[in-house]
Amino acid sequence: MTAHRNGAPVLEVKNLSIRFGGLRAVDDVSFTVERQRITTVIGPNGAGKSTLFNLVSGALRPRDGQVLLEGVDLTGAPPHRLQRAGLARSFQITNLFPDLSVFETLRLASQILEPPLRAWQPVRRSTIAIARAGALLERFDLAAKAGHKVAALSHGEQRRLEIAVALAGEPKILLLDEPTQGMSHGDTEETAALIRDLAADVTVMLIEHDIGLVMSLSDHVVVMHQGRVLAEGPPAAVRADPAVQTAYFGHA
Amino acid sequence: MREPAPTETPAPARDPLTTAMRASHVLAGVLVVGALAFAAFGAAVGDTFYLRLATEALIFAGLALAVDILLGYTGLLSLGQALYFGLGAYVSALTLMAVPSFWAAFGAALLAGTVVGLVGGVIANRVRGVYFALITFGMAQVVGKVVYNTRALGASDGLIGVPVVDIGFGPWSFSSASPAGLFLFVLGYVMVLYAVAAYILDTPLGRLLIAMRANEGRVAFLGYRPVTARLIAYVIAAVVASLSGALYPMLRGFVSPELLFFTTSGNAVITVITGGAGTLVGALYGSLLLTVIKSYVGSWTEHHLIVIGLLFMAVVIFLPRGLIGLVRPKIERMLSRERKP
Repeated sequence: MTAHRNGAPVLEVKNLSIRFGGLRAVDDVSFTVERQRITTVIGPNGAGKSTLFNLVSGALRPRDGQVLLEGVDLTGAPPHRLQRAGLARSFQITNLFPDLSVFETLRLASQILEPPLRAWQPVRRSTIAIARAGALLERFDLAAKAGHKVAALSHGEQRRLEIAVALAGEPKILLLDEPTQGMSHGDTEETAALIRDLAADVTVMLIEHDIGLVMSLSDHVVVMHQGRVLAEGPPAAVRADPAVQTAYFGHA
Repeated sequence: MREPAPTETPAPARDPLTTAMRASHVLAGVLVVGALAFAAFGAAVGDTFYLRLATEALIFAGLALAVDILLGYTGLLSLGQALYFGLGAYVSALTLMAVPSFWAAFGAALLAGTVVGLVGGVIANRVRGVYFALITFGMAQVVGKVVYNTRALGASDGLIGVPVVDIGFGPWSFSSASPAGLFLFVLGYVMVLYAVAAYILDTPLGRLLIAMRANEGRVAFLGYRPVTARLIAYVIAAVVASLSGALYPMLRGFVSPELLFFTTSGNAVITVITGGAGTLVGALYGSLLLTVIKSYVGSWTEHHLIVIGLLFMAVVIFLPRGLIGLVRPKIERMLSRERKP
């Protein structure tokens, strides 16, 4: 665990709650994401994982609780402010710009790295964003598809692009919502390797269903059940937890 | 898999959006050449009617450009863009009646378009989709009716007797009463509006607007506040419409409340969709085409709107990219082939 200068963890979630009608979708959830570790949120369907992501990334406003990014309270901040503060996310269902080329998508996602006045100069002057987009094409093995429209990519390629777009703005923490959703076994393995590689530079927090992947990839696991944190800890410890076994793995 | 150094920048050659914009420029160039030939011919034979008709088509092309910035690029359907066109026309007429100077009228229309565009944009951008369309429609109707009922603004008669002005650039100047002179000036003016719009749409800001058309929600997660981006697009479109409207009294010598009404806004939307939304140049060709139809068909039947309506329906059904969509993709392919190493 590498502590930041001010000692605060990258992300701290304190007593976060939201209700939808009578349903406590996320109920008094607290946990900490330490720098440069892979933290995975798991739980059965309806456990509140995606809602938690939406609360942390600003897509939803919490009713109670706090979200702290490097010790700064950003509770209820809108998504663009969280992004500028260094928190980026990908989406479970690919959520991109179908008509744009792959290169343009990455250049667009990288353009917050440019000085503000570049927004009024032709895009070809956006050298920082162009370089960043080029690097991401290589890193995510999309260089051969640079000129293709996003809509023309395969599912696996779109999933990779989804992660690349989230990473483009050089966030401090990257939230990945089921990055391997719908992927073939081979693609899943490659994506796991990619995420492991990313974690060297950026703190990663993800939602994942593939238990094998969770166990091999994560440094820290948070188990959610019915909107609450059931257990958290290193993967092996979580797996051995009797409460988790009952609720999640389905056998006592 | 280390991140390569940024020196390995792949040449962003053949960026499809830049290529598409260049293809629009080619077509805009064709239009300018055609217009110059037309002006030379018109001046040679001493024509007034057709030169003035073409001038009017270009002025309304400016309004259509504004609609295209919103509809074709940002994905916002404004049914009230005539608000800003009429605003520019009235402000220009009032200014010219007080101070007969083109630049004073231009400055006043620019200022009015910016200020009213900001106010209208803050109101209209509180909502999206159909509600945005309805609010823009409503705002234009309200302002139109207010002008219609305001005696100081000439009420239903509008403002008549806008003086002829001398439009000057340093040592050169000409009178707005000269048909060929005004036509050439309006051509240059509208092409400058086109160039400014094209420039803005090729900046990171413009690309953000293009992305918003496809997926506004995701733009927020790229670090941009969608409402702000929409407001900027709205103000740009308001200024373009207002500056176009400013030319109207110079051509016609009067302004009337109809300029603010839905007919004007609706025509601009039809112009853009017929010409080709999201191409800019489609707005220019669309306006010329509709003016020709209106004038030619209108000479033997007053029901020219039926023809325009049928054309509009046919384009919507068979040519989703508008008439420009028939030629621009070919030019894009030519341009991208040229740029290949």
